[in-house]
Parts: sequence; C-alpha cells; structure tokens
Amino acid sequence: MTLLVLPLAVVWLGATVLALLDGRRRLVGWLAVGILGANVAALVVLGVRVAEDGRQELVTGNWPSGVGITLAADELGVLFAVLSSAVLLVALLYEVLGGVRSRTFPALVLFMGAGLTGLFLTGDLFNFFVFFELSMIPAYVLSVYGGERRQIGAAFIFAVVNLLGSFIFLISVAGMYHVTGTLEMGAAAERLAGAEPASVMLIAVGVFVAFGVKLGLFPFHFWLPPIYVGASPAVAAILSGALANIGAYGLLRFGAALLPAELELGSRALIVLGTVSILYGAMQALSRRDVREVLAYSSIGQAGYILVALAIGGRVGFFAAVVYAVVNSANKALLFLAAGLRGWLVGAAFVVGAFSVAGVPPSAGFFGKVAVFQAGVAEDSIALLVLLFVGGALSFVYMFQIYQHAFWRPEAAVGDVSPPVLRGLTLGLAAVIVAIGIWPEPLLALSGGAADLLAGAAGGGAR
Amino acid sequence: MILLFSGVVAVLFGTGAFLMLKADLFRVVVGMVMISNAAILALIGSGLSRGAAPIHPLPDERISDPLVQAMALTAIVIGFGVTALLLAIAYRVYTSHESVDLDELSREEVRRERELEREEISL
Repeated sequence: MTLLVLPLAVVWLGATVLALLDGRRRLVGWLAVGILGANVAALVVLGVRVAEDGRQELVTGNWPSGVGITLAADELGVLFAVLSSAVLLVALLYEVLGGVRSRTFPALVLFMGAGLTGLFLTGDLFNFFVFFELSMIPAYVLSVYGGERRQIGAAFIFAVVNLLGSFIFLISVAGMYHVTGTLEMGAAAERLAGAEPASVMLIAVGVFVAFGVKLGLFPFHFWLPPIYVGASPAVAAILSGALANIGAYGLLRFGAALLPAELELGSRALIVLGTVSILYGAMQALSRRDVREVLAYSSIGQAGYILVALAIGGRVGFFAAVVYAVVNSANKALLFLAAGLRGWLVGAAFVVGAFSVAGVPPSAGFFGKVAVFQAGVAEDSIALLVLLFVGGALSFVYMFQIYQHAFWRPEAAVGDVSPPVLRGLTLGLAAVIVAIGIWPEPLLALSGGAADLLAGAAGGGAR
Repeated sequence: MILLFSGVVAVLFGTGAFLMLKADLFRVVVGMVMISNAAILALIGSGLSRGAAPIHPLPDERISDPLVQAMALTAIVIGFGVTALLLAIAYRVYTSHESVDLDELSREEVRRERELEREEISL
C-alpha cells in the first residue's frame, strides 16, 4: 500500500526541501522537475494498478477503518491526479527552460502538486479541505508571479473570493459532519441518503457554490478574467489546467457520489446555469481581441459544458463530464503556453489547441464534444442539443478568429522569437493532444470506470 | 446551545460579508477573518457534546467529541496563515498603487482599458 503514499510523500518532502533553496538556480529547477516527474510516474503506476484491481484504500496509522484518516484511489481520483500533475510538470518545465524569475517558484509549484495529489487521493472530508487549502495558497502567491504592477490588485480579489469559497466549503463540511457523524466519504454518502432532505439541500448548495467559484462558472466567474489575463503564461496554464480541476472533481465527487438525490433535484437549475455559462463565455470571448482574455472567457464557457453534463447525470452524463473536464484542462494548458510564445511552429501548436476546443477531429476535444452530445441525446431535449451545437459553433468562431488575429496579422509578428526548446515543448503538448484524439481508449476506459463508479453511487442511475 | 452557536455564527458571517463589500482592502481582510472564525465556530457547533475529555475514557462515562476540536485547531492554523498572506498582498497593493481603496484601483483599471482600446483602434 506504499503506492498510495509514495506520490504524495515524494512531492511534499521535495517541496519542503526546495523551499529552502534558491529556485532561480538551474540545478534547483531541474531538481523540481525531477521530483514532479517522479510524482507523475508514481501516479501513473497507481493508475494502472487501479485500472487492473479497482479501488485502493489505506487507513493511516493502522487505525481500524472509520476511525483513521483514509487515503483512497479510484478511477476518478487517479485520472484527475495524473492529469493535474502532468499539467504542472509541463508548466514547470516551460518555466525552467525559459528561466525562472523568482526563488520560490519551483517550491510553490511542488506544494501545489502535493495539495492536488492529496486532494484527489483522499477519502476524508476534512482532509479534502486541508489539501484544498494547501493547493490554493500557492496559487494565490503564484498569481502575481512575473505579472505587472496591476496584477497585484487582481490577485487580492482572486484570493479573497476563493477564500470565501473555501470557508463556505468548510461550513458545508461541518454540516455534513453534524448530519452524518463521520468524515469518511463512503460512510457519509450512505448516511446522507437517509438524512433529513432540507438540511442536506443546504449543504449541497454550499458545496455547489464553493466548487462553482473554483471552476469559474457563470455567476461566480468575475474574478477569473483579470487573473488569467495578467498572469505569466506558465501560471495561467497551471491555474486553468491544474487548479480548475478541483472545481470539476469536487462537483463530480460531492455532487454525484455524496449528494446524488440533491443533484437530481437541482438538475434543472444546474442545466440552466450551465447553458448561461456556455453562452455568456462564448459571447464575451467573441467580443475580445486579446488572446488571453478570449481564453479566459472560453474557460467560463467550457466550465458550463461540464456542469450541463453533470446535471444530465446517469452514466452518460458523468462520463461526458469526466472526459470533457480532462480534455478541457489539457487544451487550456496548451493554449495559454502557446499564447505566450512567438516564432515558427507556435501557430501550429496553437491551432491544434484551438481545434481541440472547437471539437474538430482528430484532436482530443472531439471526444469531449461527442460525449457531451451523447449526454444531450440521453436527456432527450432538442433545445439542449441546439444549444450545445450553437455553443460549439461559437467556440469554433472565436478560437479561429483569435488565431487569425494573433498569428496572421503582420503587426502580430513583431517581438522576439521564443527559444526553440519552448516552442518544441508546446508542440510536444499539442502532439499529445492529437495522440489522445487518435488513440483515446485509455482515457475513455478510465473515464468509463469513473462514470460507472459515480453512476453506481447515484443508485444505479440507469438512463 | 446549538441555537446559540448558530446565532453567533450567523452574526459573525453577516458582519464579515458586510465588511467584505467595503472598498477598503483592510476592512475586506478583517471581514475574511470574521468569516473564517464563523466557519470554525460552525465546525465546533457541528459536534457539540457534553462530557469528559477523551484521554482515557471509562466504559460508563460520557465523553466529548474530540474530532471537532482537532478540526477547529487545524482550521484556525489555516485561517491564520491565510490572513497573514492576505495582509501581505494588501501591503503589496499599497506599496505599488499607494492606495488601499478598491474603487480607486478599479478607476485606474478603467483608464488603462480605455488606453488599450485606443491603441487597438489606431492599429
């Protein structure tokens, strides 16, 4: 069972050691890359084990189950953990290759890696909050990294809004503990099903608000554009590709596995919020000309798809939400990294990301869109299908428009050509996205496993 | 007792939310502190039980719930760290903008946006 502790321990200890060293030195940067690489490798091994043998569980300190703090890895958690750590690794590599400008950057990325790994592998409600904070605090610090003067104001608002979300989540955890008397997720899910509906609904709303803020859904999105626009490319990739996964994972884990009855009850409202998010994000993105601003608003729109898929529910809906969340964070990481570069082949990398957002095969985004459409068909609502189609078409328009604006205009070509290694790295990431589009079986199998798990928890969920 | 706790939590949360809507950054930080304390009180309130300290419980003795106290301690530490960080960011805002007023900061932002738009049109 060391397999469960290993990825967490490696990156946590590494982060603590690196915090004492000067991150601007090349050696320290490469050490951080090595540690995070070990973390990703350990997570992949864990993922293979989970795919073969099913859920892995470990109760710390040899306590009997239900007393000690549990670490648990299932398909859903492992998938998100591998994805987030891989995005962090790419962003860290990008920054190390380009030259780190702050002594704390590598250590902060590793601390965020520790927080995210722990968050996706914990089976305990309160520990979820602790790891949640452990991954958010580096984000508050990183959001001012390499930014301009005005970025600090945006960072303050980012920190305050997200902290408010965190404390609302903490109050919901307190509520769950009061209602169920346990912090272990599995037991809590069982007891929540039999609890008084009115109080559980209140908890569910608190959880939704907390993760809605994190994901940047429509009514809670206002902090998002300034921070994504002002942050350095690597940090923007980290925030949108790794940190936003907390929102998607939290909605899936708490909404589908812990509070399925409330999810079912609120499904109409969630679909409406999701569609508003899709349309609002697309409209705002259409009207912008700055690449990163378009990407920021596109993130709000893409989060809407995840919410709609989740609200449709059942195996089809959960499957779509998982696939879409994974593909979306890979796209956003690629696009934010490519948007900061200039020179030969950068446009190619960017256009792969743009097509993936629009859902054009053979990119990975195609499978995300297909899964969401399947969910829409399962819901049997023509209005929803039309809306999903319009949202997809709009995303194609704004992505292509911004591609033209950023890479085809002669004025846009001014500025220094970026180092070839950075361009190679983004091109490599683009190649991975195409590779997932050509050989999607591993992703689809893991997502299918996660969807089975969630649909099983939601009570059969045959739809 | 639970009613009292929930009343205090509600008042704390409400005051904190009111302060967070102010334009002054330091009031926002104080509002955040109040909301974090409301969350900690809610944690304690979620497992309120009378009894002895559970160090060596005897079979026929009622014990109080130790878990909420452990959680509250953790949450206090996290809240403390986060407050320090927020104050540091607020200080950075002050040193770079020479103002801690959010309205003033957003006016500056609007001015910058206008300039950007003018550049965009001239392109």
